[in-house]
Amino acid sequence: MGRRVVQIHFLFLSAVVCYAMEERDSASATPRGKAPSNQSRKSYGRSRRSLGVELTNIGFTPGHLAGLRAPTSRELPKPRNLTEHVNPEQIALLVKNEWKLSYITPLYQFRHTQLKTYSKQLSAFIAAEKQQGLAVEIEADTSFRVTFSAVLGLAETEDDAETVFIQIHSRPPFAVEGDAPKVIWSGWLTCINGNPEYLRSLPSGFVCLPLFCTSGSESLTSVVKLWFEKTFDCNFGTLSLNSTCLQWLASMWTGCHPAFNIRYLKLVWNLPAQPPLDISYTIHPQDAWDLWNSIREQDSAADTISINEVESFMKGLEAHFFRHFRIYLSAGTLTKVSTTFGSAHCDGKIKFTSGDSIKHVLMLLTEYALLKMPI
Amino acid sequence: MARKSMLRIPDMDSSSENDSSAPGRSHRSLRVAENAKKKKEAEDPFLLALKYFSQVEAGTPWKGNDTLERHLAVVERVGLSRGLPPQAISILLEFSLSLRMGSLVSMRVLKFLIPASSVPQEAIIRGVSWLCVDKMPMSMQVVFVRWMLTVFDLIDSKDQLRAIYGFIFNFVTEENLCPYICHLLYLLTRKESIRPYRVRKLLELQTKMGCQPFLMNLLSLYKVYCPELVTLSVPPKMKSGFKNHNSTWKAALAAVKKSSTAELVSDLQLSVAVSGQPTARKRKLHSHLTVPVISSSTQSQNRQPGCKVFPLEQLRSFSQLLENLHRIELPAQMGSLLGSPLALHFLDCVRDSSAFLRLNFWLGHSLHEEFMFCKEASAMDRTEATSFLNTLISTQCFLQEGFAATELFLYKFLNIWDGSLLRPEILGLLSDIPVVPCSRIKHLLFEPLMQLFFTSSLFFKCSVIECLTNMLLKWLTWHSVYAFEDDLDISLTSQTPVNMTLSGLMDSVVELVQFVGRISAIGLQLEGYHSLLLSFTMDFYVTVSDMYLKYDLPLVLLPPPGVFYPALFATDPVNVDKLCHIMYRYRKNLMSAKSQERETKKPIEVSRKTYREFNQYLVSMVSCLWNSRAFQPGTGVELDKGLLSRSGVPEPWARFSLVHHPAFLGHALDFHQNCWPERTKMDLGSIKSGKRWDWYVQFLYCQGLHGLEEFIQSSLSRQSPSRATRDTTGGLSTSQTTSQTTAC
Repeated sequence: MGRRVVQIHFLFLSAVVCYAMEERDSASATPRGKAPSNQSRKSYGRSRRSLGVELTNIGFTPGHLAGLRAPTSRELPKPRNLTEHVNPEQIALLVKNEWKLSYITPLYQFRHTQLKTYSKQLSAFIAAEKQQGLAVEIEADTSFRVTFSAVLGLAETEDDAETVFIQIHSRPPFAVEGDAPKVIWSGWLTCINGNPEYLRSLPSGFVCLPLFCTSGSESLTSVVKLWFEKTFDCNFGTLSLNSTCLQWLASMWTGCHPAFNIRYLKLVWNLPAQPPLDISYTIHPQDAWDLWNSIREQDSAADTISINEVESFMKGLEAHFFRHFRIYLSAGTLTKVSTTFGSAHCDGKIKFTSGDSIKHVLMLLTEYALLKMPI
Repeated sequence: MARKSMLRIPDMDSSSENDSSAPGRSHRSLRVAENAKKKKEAEDPFLLALKYFSQVEAGTPWKGNDTLERHLAVVERVGLSRGLPPQAISILLEFSLSLRMGSLVSMRVLKFLIPASSVPQEAIIRGVSWLCVDKMPMSMQVVFVRWMLTVFDLIDSKDQLRAIYGFIFNFVTEENLCPYICHLLYLLTRKESIRPYRVRKLLELQTKMGCQPFLMNLLSLYKVYCPELVTLSVPPKMKSGFKNHNSTWKAALAAVKKSSTAELVSDLQLSVAVSGQPTARKRKLHSHLTVPVISSSTQSQNRQPGCKVFPLEQLRSFSQLLENLHRIELPAQMGSLLGSPLALHFLDCVRDSSAFLRLNFWLGHSLHEEFMFCKEASAMDRTEATSFLNTLISTQCFLQEGFAATELFLYKFLNIWDGSLLRPEILGLLSDIPVVPCSRIKHLLFEPLMQLFFTSSLFFKCSVIECLTNMLLKWLTWHSVYAFEDDLDISLTSQTPVNMTLSGLMDSVVELVQFVGRISAIGLQLEGYHSLLLSFTMDFYVTVSDMYLKYDLPLVLLPPPGVFYPALFATDPVNVDKLCHIMYRYRKNLMSAKSQERETKKPIEVSRKTYREFNQYLVSMVSCLWNSRAFQPGTGVELDKGLLSRSGVPEPWARFSLVHHPAFLGHALDFHQNCWPERTKMDLGSIKSGKRWDWYVQFLYCQGLHGLEEFIQSSLSRQSPSRATRDTTGGLSTSQTTSQTTAC
């Protein structure tokens, strides 16, 4: 049986604001793990088997779990003009596609100075994979051309490695001379405002670019991943976005509303009914902002958002929905958030529609990618 | 008939039987064997199916034909899982190409025609001759030629195939077949097969079809052999090589190859590339648990010029490893070292911390992806997970250390583990973890383990205790290997696995021992003092009792009463014997701790309380087993006299003596029968008197109760051999021994 899809559009009523505020207490009761202050116990060294791990020093002294935890508060995104720092052409590249997200463990012996060599190696590797069994000259002109380029200026702190953008061009087999090769795959590795303690703790041979975004055919993605794994001894895994992450995004985007017009806030839930029920919930931006503002009022810190605020914001939205439809949205999972800034799907897909919003989303995603690191 | 003889050969399992049928065997037994073989043949559905396909008449209807469907399913399963033996390939190819049952069935057969070892040349020749008959639909012709290209390397010899080069060449004019035929010709071409008319034909085709890469490739090969015949300028930007045509069989080929390499592994114990899956190009969904293939790094720019390196993948023997140890280069993927025993020897010598970090990243990633992040249940490839974890366990065992990534993973995994998934493997890994600081041991290890322990079966409880025993054993071994006499702070070199302070280690050991004491006391009670659990618990205390003497850790920790008394009153002699041995070892340890303290004037941290407790236990044991004075004041377990008399047991204080103790009762009866074979009325009390008692004790020693022997000989000094005064002197001497210990 097909899925039922319920589309619900309505204006958010101001009366709901009070309701949401009543919900606050229960929302703030949700326990959050506090980041342990565990960096001091250096006296416990490790065996040679874990020598490297000891160097990282991050969350690893014996018996410590990885020290990274999701922070309970973060900065409110500020309007920032990216084009001052970053080449607008490069921003345009990041903006137009929907990206599939992966996390990637630190790259060993990756050098930003070698990007040209990597381009050649990856082209040759793709050609070899496509015609397995035959030797391929590195210099040979294959039908695939790979370009690596650094996106300078995107990094937020000194510890962040510069973003690397990869494009695979292909010349159609019967192309007329002079036809520009088409981009058939693109992807980029990035790290924006990664946890400085983690980044600093890595030995010098490693470069941490934990977030990998791809767009293009799955088969090329897997070939590129394979090449990275073989060349830099790293590993990939899919990065799905959990409800909390999507809730952060929804709140952060709503928080930006006065500065940029977000036009709408659209949330999609999936409810575990039989058959599954998809609910799409679109909120007028001004109403969303009013609710957000009413929650924020009492907090003193003006430019940070806390997890409690995010939770009460969502509680408010859910409560309002319950009033009208008698459906507990909290029983389902939040699968998608979108505004005019872009959209994020729980499967690990994200789309940016303007360069202004890229950075704070990437910060959040970098953080989630780092949380996936095995060590 | 030739086909008949073919049919018999696929029975490869029994061929070894045939070889062993030595001339010494009688005709009769040969006949019996023959019959048995025939019978087996008749029953094997695979052979039956082959027989069916070799004999089925042309024109038999295939729609609704259940027999066909059944046989097809059988051969298909074999083909896709293990691959087909050469004879089966011949039969099925013949069946398929002769179109005896229509092209649909034929196509289906072609799709699972995966060779297990080789493809007989004759089958291919017959196939080509069917192709020449020109009955097949075009799509099938294409599939057949593509199949030939796919299995080309497996064809056992190619001489006859080259002999019919001309026939194959004829198909070049067939428009749909042309690309594939060109590829096939490319593979078959020798200098002698190049003729002017063939070159002309190809050039003619080229003018007709345009500059096609497959024609160009074939022509350029011709040009290599006979440059005088081919006057053609090959454009420099030509795409090199042919495409792969194996897409139809790709997945099946990889699966068959994988299963066959798995069989080979046992033969290639020391070779480097044992775990290689060289053809698994496309990574499947569950690819987290494959050890990568060893390959050298492509990033050789930073290599010193003039410095010769030895690629790890060329390593074949241990002597090679020794010769080239200084020149071996780390592989591109550190995880690949886990795949080969030889590479592990190399890993053992690696001192590069980045290399281990890479290894840990890979390992942690694999474990996390498979067991933590993977949403869909991986019940299907449990075997893959098992073999991966076993590789990991044996690697850690080889290196005598656990990896940090494993440890981190386990701490997280314990919280979500159901206690049954891959239990032996997970507990095996758990026992490898290095010493956990006592501040976190409770949170990381004890809490999740305790939850699992109390909610799981008896056998799980036993395996947890065993796991913790091994863990303790490893911690103590590390300590004893790396502890230095003068320097109690053992953080000297990077070699030490545990360079934590001695007191830190001791705290952790104390925590662990106390934890096991707690859970085993409660566990025993829950399980009704099951002998098995008791035995595992006793094994744990065998290690604990010897920590000072055997492992040089100045620590003596006694079992809690909840463990001691159930063991003392256990119904099986094994556990009581183990308890005796443990008490003997405790005594030795305490005595030597005492003398050490006297000699060096260095206080050893064994508290007065421990001595007191030990004496209490000793008194209990001696009064129960030896003096028949159980349950009396001052013997540890005291019971109210009224209560004892209400139980109606005669002489309750003697019920746990060596004669009456339920664990030794069997031995006592045995002894009684041996002593007085003529007596019909059993009187165990008579063992207690005179020389009989000594004999009985000797008899018990002879039954293998060595723990008891050690215990009695060390803890009881009998002043007089006379049995008449046993009760008093025995008691006295015991108390003397006891007081000695107390005085220490």
